[in-house]
Amino acid sequence: MEKGQREKGQREKGQREKGQREKGQREKENRVLSGVHFMQGNYAAVEGALAAGCDFFAGYPITPANEVSERMSQRLPAVGGVFLQGEDELCSINAVAGASLAGAKAMTATASAGYDYLQEGLEYGVAVEAPMVVVDVQRCRGENFATQADIMQVHWGPAGDHEMIVLAPSSVQELFDFTVRAFNLAEEYRTPVIVLSETTIALMRERLVIPEADKIPVVNRKWTTKTPEEYLPFKADSEWGVPEFSGLGRGYHTIYSINPHDEKGSIEWDPDAFERLYTRIPAKVARNRKKISTVQRYGLDDAKVALVAYGSEVRPCIDAMDVLREGGKKVGVMKLDAPWPFPEEAIEELSKNMDLVATVEMNVGKYAGEIERACRGRCRTARVTKNRGLIHSPEEILESLSGFEEVR
Amino acid sequence: MSSATKATSIRFSGFGGQGIILSAVVLGDALVIHRGLYAAQTQSYGSEARGGQCQSELIVSEKPILTPIRATNDILVAMFQTAFNTYVDSLRKGGALFVDSELVKDLSRVPPETACHSIPATQIASGLGNKMAANMVMLGYFAGVTNMVGLEHLDSALAENVREQFLDLNKKAIRAGFDLSLGKA
Repeated sequence: MEKGQREKGQREKGQREKGQREKGQREKENRVLSGVHFMQGNYAAVEGALAAGCDFFAGYPITPANEVSERMSQRLPAVGGVFLQGEDELCSINAVAGASLAGAKAMTATASAGYDYLQEGLEYGVAVEAPMVVVDVQRCRGENFATQADIMQVHWGPAGDHEMIVLAPSSVQELFDFTVRAFNLAEEYRTPVIVLSETTIALMRERLVIPEADKIPVVNRKWTTKTPEEYLPFKADSEWGVPEFSGLGRGYHTIYSINPHDEKGSIEWDPDAFERLYTRIPAKVARNRKKISTVQRYGLDDAKVALVAYGSEVRPCIDAMDVLREGGKKVGVMKLDAPWPFPEEAIEELSKNMDLVATVEMNVGKYAGEIERACRGRCRTARVTKNRGLIHSPEEILESLSGFEEVR
Repeated sequence: MSSATKATSIRFSGFGGQGIILSAVVLGDALVIHRGLYAAQTQSYGSEARGGQCQSELIVSEKPILTPIRATNDILVAMFQTAFNTYVDSLRKGGALFVDSELVKDLSRVPPETACHSIPATQIASGLGNKMAANMVMLGYFAGVTNMVGLEHLDSALAENVREQFLDLNKKAIRAGFDLSLGKA
């Protein structure tokens, strides 16, 4: 379905179209399960991936991410895709990178301890500009306990220079919606995108509405129309641009190396080439920060106190806000759809309008440091943290805030 | 709390293997798909395949549910004594309690004004040929007492969540529990 544009002007067109017809015949189930469901979060992420056009998945078992692999192993082959159980996480992430460079829309899923092992593959994906989607279902206490402790690792895990895109869903519906979006962003910017899931929402069942297939926006990477002789695999149209894609096995003979490379893809240790490459790679994401890192505002118009949260913690924040507003307190909530790239402008604007900005998160207090930096002393800041393996209750948030005169 | 007060929190509890989580999933499915309500179902269980403590909370509301867990439950379903002992203290005053009469005999610490329903679910399921269907006997009884959902909706939710070979047994079990509730009414 999404292949139409890719083909334009490419060689071996007939051969690939034949391949597609064969692939079409292998589709035994509907790719998009439009309708109302009562579905578990991990399954919703799978359905989002399929709706976005995912055709390759590799993963290694770990709770609480297992239901992603379980459902993928059944659904993906039934819609003509390939499922691979890797021998470990490193195998899985490298298989994802390879499949992506061959033209597939590829994904893996794991949980915190397994996410550690992905860093080399993510660094590679950044360097060779391979679109890939990684679902990290954060867990703690060695089992299925809830946490947001990976919030910094999902940005800074891999070595080297990068601006990671991380989406943080708050619900089963958003596990679907944001996984679709993760694929679209990965394709648009040719970079790894992380879906930062959590035990709380991954193992929860909720109402999920899957739209009709033609109502789901699907983005595909820009395939080159140049001949192999003209094509420069890492040449972009600006210092923050995204190169056109050719795909392995199509006669373009590109070297996809983690080493510094020039526009031709040749390994190049020269500082100018290095600087050029690693200026463009973070910039292609950072320049589009406002577009990528959307925020949702609840009750902020007249507020003097803002609770800032991402992922599942947004939910008790809004409950707490409702209680405080019923008591006449002017409190609002800012929900960060994408904690990374950091929504600098949104937090700056918030800090100019608030007396108090409180970061609410389920860890020892990590992302709060970024919020405080961005507020730059323009308002008071506070941290509402909980690190016991369970989501905040609204009452706990209220209790934490009760010490602040802005809220009393 | 505006969104919380209109919601109903139901906790299903027992030991692993009793189909505790399935009960919550089937009820949630029926309420969301067939009654157009919002529901959030969470769960916890031991790493044992069978025998560990097991619970699932289902919050039901006419509005989207924010915080997906509650400190107090409006309804507690306990299919085993140890589960009852663990969760009875989170049942609110004036709530409803459903227990298996053979497996939960000590009902001390039940909060005041609780509507208590004690039925021989496991025994009835055994009579149907498989005591594993006790969860569905209880769910049918629950549906009859609370009027939250109709039998046809539960049947349809069962078809989505239960393997075909067990469908008939589970439907019979739900009906047996439902009939028992009518007899008592």
